[in-house]
Amino acid sequence: MSAPLRKAEGRFSETAFEDEVVVMQLDSGEFFSLTGTARDIWLLIDGRRSAAEIVATLAAVFACTESEIAGDVADFLAQMTEAQLVVAE
Amino acid sequence: MSAVSALAALALMRRETELRVGPVARALDGRSVEPGHYRINRDEFLLWTDTGLGFHYRRSCGVTLDQTAPVPAGEIELWHHGSVYAAIAALNGLVPLHASAVAHNGQVHAFAGPSGMGKSTLAAGLGRNGFPLFCDDTLLLDLSDPDAVWCLPGHKRLKLCSDALALTGAAAQEHVGVMIDKVYAQPLAGVIDSPLPLAALTFLADGPNLGLRPVTGGEQLSLLNDDHYTADYVVLARGLDRAGRMAHLAGLAAVLPTGLLTRPRSNAAFADGLAFVAAQVRGRQP
Repeated sequence: MSAPLRKAEGRFSETAFEDEVVVMQLDSGEFFSLTGTARDIWLLIDGRRSAAEIVATLAAVFACTESEIAGDVADFLAQMTEAQLVVAE
Repeated sequence: MSAVSALAALALMRRETELRVGPVARALDGRSVEPGHYRINRDEFLLWTDTGLGFHYRRSCGVTLDQTAPVPAGEIELWHHGSVYAAIAALNGLVPLHASAVAHNGQVHAFAGPSGMGKSTLAAGLGRNGFPLFCDDTLLLDLSDPDAVWCLPGHKRLKLCSDALALTGAAAQEHVGVMIDKVYAQPLAGVIDSPLPLAALTFLADGPNLGLRPVTGGEQLSLLNDDHYTADYVVLARGLDRAGRMAHLAGLAAVLPTGLLTRPRSNAAFADGLAFVAAQVRGRQP
């Protein structure tokens, strides 16, 4: 939870729409449509923030407790890590 | 901005697709092209059919046909106006889409979807409502005008299966040939032969209820990420890797007004679906 997270540059291509980011995993060609919280998390992954810091940031933005949002963040990061789109430094 | 670029593209396609007879190599870029396969690079397209037809196109040099065996009447035209035409379009910067289309009020209303989804039947049926056919099966887009997406008029004759003939009332002509179990048909409201801007690209899908909604974002990219050979030609002709394909799709998504039409697929429901689409086309203001 404390290691900074970064996007796996070179493994994906992304394009932004009004309220959605579409990410293509370049090895598999699989599309990921990121909306809502998933999009927010993706945009917060910058190579400096850890998972815990992302949770804290989102909790502040959405005026909720960290425990309310931690599960969603963990699930999303697990999916992105499995797809080799996000790595911990 | 005018249709100048699209007219130039149309003239280019007519020039580049001219067919002459001559020997055609069996390999491109040093790699053999077996019967039933093709190869395309940034300047050339080579196709050998299972029936012994070889087509070779090189930019600015036209198409060479090598016929090594007798083929049924009409087969050369099918290949020439199908795979070869789409490849030439892709090699010259145009975007071929797997779509059929009609025209209304000086704009093109196109219908896309996998084979068998009813694109041609819908376009033919709209002829009963007075909409002339713009293209069947392949729609060529000229994206060089930043102010509009221009469409080049169809180069293929309308082809329908027997069920579609009965549904649409289109007049049957001769049988297409052994490759396709369809007949050529005369569009009821005629055909358009000049470029027009695109009004809408509507993907067809099966569904229990009749409805049309806009699609954007990932859903739009997914629909545009067609696995039809026309899409492959663009990727190969431009030498796109997966990131390049993604960028290409995103570029299309940004400029193509895209919708998804769901409707029950039955002969009984066809008339309702047709009336619905006709109203949608009429209701769209140029």
